[in-house]
Amino acid sequence: MARKVSLFVPCFVDQLQPEVAVDTVKVLRRIGCEVDFPQDQTCCGQPAFNSGFWDEARPCAERFLRVFADAETIVCPSGSCTTMVRVFYPELMASGALYDQAAAAGKRTFELSEFLVKVMGMTDVGAAFPHTVTYHASCHGLRELKLREEPLQLLRAVKGLKLVDMLRFDECCGFGGTFATKFESISVAMGESKCDSVAVTGAEYVTAIDPSCLMHVQGILGRRKDRAKAIHLASILAREA
Amino acid sequence: MAASNPSREAILARIREGLRTPAPPLGGQSSAVGPIFEPVENPLERFQQECKANLMECQLTADAAASARALAQVLQSLPAGEVFVQDDAVLRGMLAASGAGRQVRWSSQGGPAENSQATVTLAEMLIAQTGSIFVTAQCGGRGASVVAPCHIVYATTKQLVPDLVTALRAATAQGRLDKNSFACIISGSSRTADIEKILVQGAHGPMRLVVILETSA
Amino acid sequence: MSTSSGLSAPAGETPSAMTAAQKFLQDAAVKSADLVHREIIRKNMDSYDAAHLRGRGRFKDWEAARRKCQEIKREAIEHLDRYLLQFEEKVIARGGHVFWAANGDEACAYIKDLAVSRGVKTVVKSKSMVTEEIHLSPVLEKAGIRVWETDLGEFIVQLRNEAPYHIVTPAMHLNRQQIRDLFREKLGEDIADADPQKLVALARRKLREAFFAAEMGISGANFLVADSGAVAISTNEGNGRLSTSLPRIHVAVTGIEKVIPRLEDLGTLWPVLATSGTGQPITTYSTLIGGPRQAGEADGPEEFHVVLLDNGRSSLLANAEEREVLTCIRCGACLNICPVYRNIGGHTYNTTYQGPIGSVLTPHLRGSEFQHLSYASSLCGACSSVCPVNINLHHHLLHNRRDATAAGKVKAGERTQFKLWRTAMLHPRLFALGGWMMRRSLRLLYGLGLAGTAMDPMRAWSRKRGPLPLPEQSFRARWKRELGRTYGGSK
Repeated sequence: MARKVSLFVPCFVDQLQPEVAVDTVKVLRRIGCEVDFPQDQTCCGQPAFNSGFWDEARPCAERFLRVFADAETIVCPSGSCTTMVRVFYPELMASGALYDQAAAAGKRTFELSEFLVKVMGMTDVGAAFPHTVTYHASCHGLRELKLREEPLQLLRAVKGLKLVDMLRFDECCGFGGTFATKFESISVAMGESKCDSVAVTGAEYVTAIDPSCLMHVQGILGRRKDRAKAIHLASILAREA
Repeated sequence: MAASNPSREAILARIREGLRTPAPPLGGQSSAVGPIFEPVENPLERFQQECKANLMECQLTADAAASARALAQVLQSLPAGEVFVQDDAVLRGMLAASGAGRQVRWSSQGGPAENSQATVTLAEMLIAQTGSIFVTAQCGGRGASVVAPCHIVYATTKQLVPDLVTALRAATAQGRLDKNSFACIISGSSRTADIEKILVQGAHGPMRLVVILETSA
Repeated sequence: MSTSSGLSAPAGETPSAMTAAQKFLQDAAVKSADLVHREIIRKNMDSYDAAHLRGRGRFKDWEAARRKCQEIKREAIEHLDRYLLQFEEKVIARGGHVFWAANGDEACAYIKDLAVSRGVKTVVKSKSMVTEEIHLSPVLEKAGIRVWETDLGEFIVQLRNEAPYHIVTPAMHLNRQQIRDLFREKLGEDIADADPQKLVALARRKLREAFFAAEMGISGANFLVADSGAVAISTNEGNGRLSTSLPRIHVAVTGIEKVIPRLEDLGTLWPVLATSGTGQPITTYSTLIGGPRQAGEADGPEEFHVVLLDNGRSSLLANAEEREVLTCIRCGACLNICPVYRNIGGHTYNTTYQGPIGSVLTPHLRGSEFQHLSYASSLCGACSSVCPVNINLHHHLLHNRRDATAAGKVKAGERTQFKLWRTAMLHPRLFALGGWMMRRSLRLLYGLGLAGTAMDPMRAWSRKRGPLPLPEQSFRARWKRELGRTYGGSK
């Protein structure tokens, strides 16, 4: 029987980077999953949570738990939003009646590469992408979810893809949610350092598991007219020969 | 003025009040699992290795006569001037046997002079893990290991302990700090990397740290 | 979501009229665009990174070492009163004095009065961040006492009239040419080739005069060992040794949180501190001082005073959730790895403790004036991943933010924004409509070439990153139109 997967699409992906979610659907369906998109979902609450507005974040979390109450497996093309559910929901709901539900939701919510490699046991999803690619380890995926190898394993299995290492691949790109606009100059300087590291590799693409990092990095790459382009892992995995 | 300590009780009271709520428990595994450092298999070999890494000179000698010769050699390599020596029968004997014709200031006469060319002391222990010498105030005082451009330590292989924890446990058990106002674990010559992270030897203390290490039966 | 900062300084305003937050933003903007600065720090950090990596490799189990240090410091903090009293008793037994200072003023007054009553003319200081915290040197200087910083980095920043740039490497922001120029101007000697060896030799010569002239040495403490009644001081240069050996009086100034239970704990703490601080297996001089010169000892100070500083620490202790912040051993590892620190440098923080630990700690120690530091982080967590005592630094930043909101210390505008945001997020149709309107109006605006201009409400994003991607259709719209075959195959 096909695995049933409920898609958790970050709010800004829904509005600004829909192709990331479309590509996620493609990949999941290609490997035989049944994909559902619960249409009542909005935002996991992270912007408010990270800004200190926990009372505003909490109803979002409650809503998420309701919307995904019946979902067996929740898959999200973002390490950061997955982290919100798995790591921060239990803390946000620590004193409430929904604590157990929050902890349980975290255990069945997976970031895409994590789902493919750890849950499905797959590294080759039948993708082909004949380009030079370098990988940026997004912070939440790397440090909160401990996803170090999974995205790389997937990339190595992509036909025609040449993976090149990036110096300081695990240094933050500078996005950081509202940090990007509250502390614009620091965020941009961090992004420039990241783009410098990308440029040194000579890669055509820089990829990551977090669309928000990539939106920020692409903004700076574009402004600088750098050669490299930012692309989400899902979009690489969605390409076929 | 030392007797007046107006805030002492208030600070202690605040601490006690604060601690009435315990911190949340530590999750995860306790450190009791498995060793933190590789065990030191061969203390002498390790000590010599670490001395090299610490930019110390370690001269292995076979007996007291050889140690005296080694001491003479080091002293000969230094510019003219007074040396400071821990006032100890062994070192008095060694210095006499070395035939060094230098003016000597003994620790029983006070600390080393500003222009001492070298200090010669014993050590309480040697620590293999870090290539360190463990000195206390008993080893000629505080200045003895830091004032002169060259510090010469005479020790025997019997004084080697495998690692830091062993050394510190022994120091506690033997009450070494109860008897001394000062102890120091010295792991190399004085150094700094404050300019562009470039290592420079001889910042404020000795440029050379020489260990004359006698193999004891 | 807030897009304009609301914190930015009005143009042309003088620094004195600025809040700490405005000054931070202004300085951050200057420093983060300073490519020379970026290069100097990058070079320093690259060499630190390599040494740190090698250093960790010397441990059989680095994670176990971190855990052990965390447990030691936690045990000490959870029984802080008991261990401090044990420490005090031992020091007094050797003839030392222990003074408890509730704040910086009390600490400074005690040390100044001591110096004046003993006729002290010259003080040599070895590196101590706590004395920076309480601004001790200006107090002593006002009393006519000459104060020499003797750690090379501290000496350099003192000559420049600057605060330390970094808690471990105070002059990290300067290259050798700048130091040569400084020495030429202030010390009157020219090291033409700026050879670090010669620069160090010059400082050594100058400071040796001070060491032998000084009547008082002031040091910090890395640890206070309760069972031995000893102050533990780690230095590489030997200045800490000379400052505590030669002058008649030694004063150690430190925070109450520095106590550890047992001497043998240093068997783990010393190597971990050195590895995290500089990548060394152990600091060159790991010194223990338990009192003034004892009978039969060749030398050493006649008087030994320990000043235990609270200055807000006991309040932090009372906050059980944040208490672990007090277990910090000030190694500097979180500064070194922090991408924010790497871009804005140490001085921009304008605090005694910089980087992630400073951003967590300062709002607690110095109040809401420094609350902005809790937000000046992308929450990347690199700091927590290297902290040798496992302080969950970036989560504490989140807690600081939460507490600031709860205490009403946020801008009304931001509060309103998040209330509106919540309403939208709780109503999917409103969310979809709002998103559609935003994309449509921005597309219109950007079509007129107004991206990043004053007309652009998203300019804090777009002026340095270009316009946001603004697709015609949201994902939810596409799902309805093309993808919504629930559970894979059949409609």
